Amino acid sequence: MFEALGAKLLTGVVSLSMLLFSSFQGNDPSLGNLSYSKTGSYVHLRAQLQTAFENDFPSIFASGSEIPVHYNLEVKSGGNVMIKRRVVHKVSYDPTTGVYQIFKNGSRTAFTESAEQVKRELSAFEYALPYQHSWGVVTVKLEADLPKVHFAQLKKEVDLMVLWKYKKPSIKAQIDLRRDS
Amino acid sequence: MPKTGLRTRIFLLFLVVSIGGLMVLNNVFQSKHANIHEALEVMELSGHLREIRQYSHEDSLKAQALMHNFNEAKAVVNIALSDSRMMSSVVLLIIIVASTVIFLIVLSRISKPLRELKNATDQIRQGNFSVHMPETGIPEMRELKGSFNVMSRELEAVQNRLLVAEKEMIWKDLSRILAHEIKNPLTPIQLAIQRLEERLETDPERVKDILRESISIITQEIENLRLLAQDFSNYAKVNQPALEPLNPASSIREIVKSYVQDFEIILELDEDLQINFDKTHFYQIITNILQNAIDACEEPKPINIRLYRERSFAVLSIKDEGKGIESADLQRIFEPYFSKKNKGTGLGLALVKKLCDANSTIIRVKSKPGEGSEFILIIEALNQ
Repeated sequence: MFEALGAKLLTGVVSLSMLLFSSFQGNDPSLGNLSYSKTGSYVHLRAQLQTAFENDFPSIFASGSEIPVHYNLEVKSGGNVMIKRRVVHKVSYDPTTGVYQIFKNGSRTAFTESAEQVKRELSAFEYALPYQHSWGVVTVKLEADLPKVHFAQLKKEVDLMVLWKYKKPSIKAQIDLRRDS
Repeated sequence: MPKTGLRTRIFLLFLVVSIGGLMVLNNVFQSKHANIHEALEVMELSGHLREIRQYSHEDSLKAQALMHNFNEAKAVVNIALSDSRMMSSVVLLIIIVASTVIFLIVLSRISKPLRELKNATDQIRQGNFSVHMPETGIPEMRELKGSFNVMSRELEAVQNRLLVAEKEMIWKDLSRILAHEIKNPLTPIQLAIQRLEERLETDPERVKDILRESISIITQEIENLRLLAQDFSNYAKVNQPALEPLNPASSIREIVKSYVQDFEIILELDEDLQINFDKTHFYQIITNILQNAIDACEEPKPINIRLYRERSFAVLSIKDEGKGIESADLQRIFEPYFSKKNKGTGLGLALVKKLCDANSTIIRVKSKPGEGSEFILIIEALNQ
């Protein structure tokens, strides 16, 4: 609880100080368009990360190092945590070919030369969640964050959350698993 | 427009100078960072290197390492710049909040004792010299409070000395007046007794001839002594007035009844006026002023008493055509023991002033030497 309160306080202080004293834009990420559909014993969850990679990220993606984006998913039923997962999307860039390689949750790989497509791919969250009818109404909470990245060539570690002004976008929704869709 | 306090003015000055300065500094800093950021954005190496196709394998590896290094450096500098711009604004906000809080605490620690000092000064102004301040707070304040305490102690000591001196002076004056006033009637009494003794020794048969006259002198002088005692007693015991509605015209008519046989008193009175006044005090005021007017006339002359309404006030004028009062003496006629008459304690008009004050009445005197004096009382009239 104190951790969440501390994070909110930090975000508040950063936002206020940026508003008052800085011309730095950064990014103001938010999670939206959370939707779901059921097929068999899976619930397919989809969500969209918005305005998360507009400023500064093109040069970060083009650094050549692997840049991950974390999606933390938590499903609760009646106060109990049923499922807790971390879905990781990553992008790395080959400067010699000018091609980005995108890894989506370790399962799918895409190649592109377009930084815009990189943004789109990293912003799209999809996950097939196995479930049981007995869970009834569940609360789904999805949160995104950026980890610290180690730049091997420079032997330097940097916190990418700076570019999100230390704000972790999140979204919460309730899903009734007893219903058909 | 309300007056801005010292504390507010200091606080505004602090805001303008300190925080304004910091904000200007931050603005310059932010704009320089933005310039570096823009320059970084246009730095490009990989694209150009890729266009050079004729690498040897060794050169290709070197070019790859160079591109990788350059891109990583560009990304790290970009993030560091963003971090620096953000952190500088956060630190600035923290500095502003913290410095404002610290400034307000310090200001309150200075202004609170100043407020206490002002209150203590107010008490001194009201005559309470026994006020002392606890010597606490910052060293300068302790010093200031210490000086204040020394000053209040000295003032208290001076006040005590003055009180003692004043009491002594009053007693001296009183003793002098009493001695003088008692000695005056005692001399004729002593002379009358001496004459009786002489007659008893020289011609006892004819004592009777002077006995009546001597008794008369002694009785008269004893009566004078009684009146003297009465005057002092009256002056000392002016009580809180028992205010009651009073018709001043009818009271004046009652008072002058005992004078009209011997003196010419012209009355011009508004019979409808009503005032709120202590009846006994009113009697004492009128008889004293009237007696003063009679004493001022060396030969029988008319005395005018006029009562009339002026706005919401009843104005009572008692005017004589006596010898008048010198302008230098006009200021002092209401002082106790001030008298220019051969007979009298100097308490009559002092008593009048005291009674007027007790009944919220204004008393004024107009006088011209050789032409006479006019005593004017201004009393709030009751609405009818």
